[in-house]
Amino acid sequence: MSTQTVESGAAGHGAEPRGKRDDDGQATYLIAIAEALWEEMERDERVYMLGEDIGVYGGAFKVTEGFIDRFGPDRVMDTPIAEETIVGMAVGSAMEGLRPVAEFQYADFMSSGFDEITTVLSRYHYRAGVPLPVVLRAPSGGGVRASSFHSINPEPWYAYAGGIKIMCPAFPSDAKGLLKSAVRDDNPSMFLEHKWIYRRIKEQVPTEPDFLVPISSAAVKREGTDVSVITYGAMVHKALEAAESLAQRGVSAEVVDLRTVYPYDEETVLRSIEKTAHALVLYESYRFLGIGSEVAAMIAEKAFEHLDAPVVRLAPPNVPVPFSPPLEDAFLPQVADIEAAVDRLAAW
Amino acid sequence: MATKLEPDAAPSGRPLTDDRLKEIYYYLALGRYFDERMEALYRQGRLPGAIYSGRGQEGTHVGVAFALEPDDSLFPTHRDLTAQLTKGLDLNRVMAQFWGRIDGYLRGRDGNSHIGDWYGHRTYAVMSHLPIAYPVAVGAALAYQRKGERRVAMAICGDGATSNGRWHEAINTSAVFRLPVVWVVNNNQFAYSTPNAKEFAVPTIAERAAAYGIPGVRVDGADVLEVYAAAQEAVDRARDGGGPTLIESVSLRWRGHAGHDPAKYVPRELLEHYMLSKDPVKNFETYLREQGVATDDDIDAITARIEREFDEGFAFAQASPFPEPGDVTKGWWVEDGYWTSDPGRGGGTETG
Repeated sequence: MSTQTVESGAAGHGAEPRGKRDDDGQATYLIAIAEALWEEMERDERVYMLGEDIGVYGGAFKVTEGFIDRFGPDRVMDTPIAEETIVGMAVGSAMEGLRPVAEFQYADFMSSGFDEITTVLSRYHYRAGVPLPVVLRAPSGGGVRASSFHSINPEPWYAYAGGIKIMCPAFPSDAKGLLKSAVRDDNPSMFLEHKWIYRRIKEQVPTEPDFLVPISSAAVKREGTDVSVITYGAMVHKALEAAESLAQRGVSAEVVDLRTVYPYDEETVLRSIEKTAHALVLYESYRFLGIGSEVAAMIAEKAFEHLDAPVVRLAPPNVPVPFSPPLEDAFLPQVADIEAAVDRLAAW
Repeated sequence: MATKLEPDAAPSGRPLTDDRLKEIYYYLALGRYFDERMEALYRQGRLPGAIYSGRGQEGTHVGVAFALEPDDSLFPTHRDLTAQLTKGLDLNRVMAQFWGRIDGYLRGRDGNSHIGDWYGHRTYAVMSHLPIAYPVAVGAALAYQRKGERRVAMAICGDGATSNGRWHEAINTSAVFRLPVVWVVNNNQFAYSTPNAKEFAVPTIAERAAAYGIPGVRVDGADVLEVYAAAQEAVDRARDGGGPTLIESVSLRWRGHAGHDPAKYVPRELLEHYMLSKDPVKNFETYLREQGVATDDDIDAITARIEREFDEGFAFAQASPFPEPGDVTKGWWVEDGYWTSDPGRGGGTETG
């Protein structure tokens, strides 16, 4: 667990995000996201971005650095600080044939646009039959000592609204492929970029212009036989670290990365449970009514006959994300917590 | 009649011919007749759901909507059905919506004047959280500007909605980008039961335009031609790249907020004054007669046409099937094809 403060600053040099990869060709999660945006902007002139400080400044986390030089201020549009209007503008321009990608500086600030998201964006197609190909992007998640207003995992709020596909990728390739899929999808999407992952995780990322990861498909990131850990976002990396440690003690944990949390891939989850008969649902949104609550309920309903133990949830308590390092570490599930939970499950 | 606008002075370049003046009267009278008949059906228990009367405000509704071209978009509220009718909505499908039928514009997904016909007449399906459509109108206008289209977005809200943060956000943003949008406030003096004095501390809404660096104009909603002239000027300015305008059109809400509300909070003298002296429908009818534009026969013919259309709409709505209960979850995602499966009923088509 890092104890650094939230990073910012240039991701690299050169206009195209791909030029910012490491010498060995690996891309960070942040650069992979920038590549997805750049490629989709190049592919389709209807795609444009709007948000606060995304143009000249290049975005709070510098995801869109250099974009304004290539695409101009009309397609990399700095807006007033008006989140309801940012969402409304995205909706209205989508109704008239554009494909907006709106950036929020932090996922926390999406709540300043809550009504336009949950009342307009999520319901309009069901009510009136007008597709809204809108993508809302935002850095989410904790673990970077950013405290209550810069660490939220808001996905349950917006999943409850319905009508918006919500993605929480954990790896650079998944992030790139899912974001490209979201831009091409005719439904509204919310793309939550975990800021703890931005510059920590890198890998070889496909460069084909049509590399897509399907929305609503989960992926098994580590095969195992004893316990399934169903998770997403930064917790995938915690789960993988725990699984490695568990393996050394002879416990085989399978790690399932949901990648899309709404609507999510029940089949992949159920297949894993059928194999392991033990389910740990690990998530970073609040324990009460979190995404994992729904996954746990689904497993209990649909895989009861396969289970050898009760479904277990591991998630933060329902309090604001605290600042002080010992408090935040106590708030977030840690690798040791995951190991202990898997051990208890495996003992059934 | 307060207006000094001469028929050939219509700023759009389209003269207000006798036929167009009679068309304005038709929409005014249609709005009034529809409002009265639907309230009667509601009180008889023959109309499910809710009604939101726009009576007394027809001058605002017709005046602003008459300034729009078919390709221009309109973002109204639940009180502005007459504006949507002026934009051209089909009365049969409007009434099918009120009775929750499949032939309604929203296929039973919403009722009453929470209506819209985006693909047909470019009207946005009304939402309740006013002024929730104001930011969306900014986006439509942005698209017109970005694509170089000479189109205009117009949004309507009430006096109460001007107290909401989105009203400020949307107008401010539209001014910053000089977008082709017209902001209309139907100031009917009461937000549900709350009077203007408890909604804002400035004397008029129009003067708040100065804070955004855009023109603001206050017009008499009882005078449809005064409203129309202001709207046409604003629409032309927006179309020509001159940016947004704020129009405050003053009237009085003659009925309650919704059908259940007797509106006893409206002073009786005020209501009587408006109903006797500031009736936009009667005033315009008098004007047409005095100007020799319409004869008794013309007025009678328009009245008969409206009565016939209403009765046909009522019968159409009763004959229209209800939506299939099994379709309750359809249309949630674009790919399920619900809205494109039967365009003749739903009116939905894919994005271009």
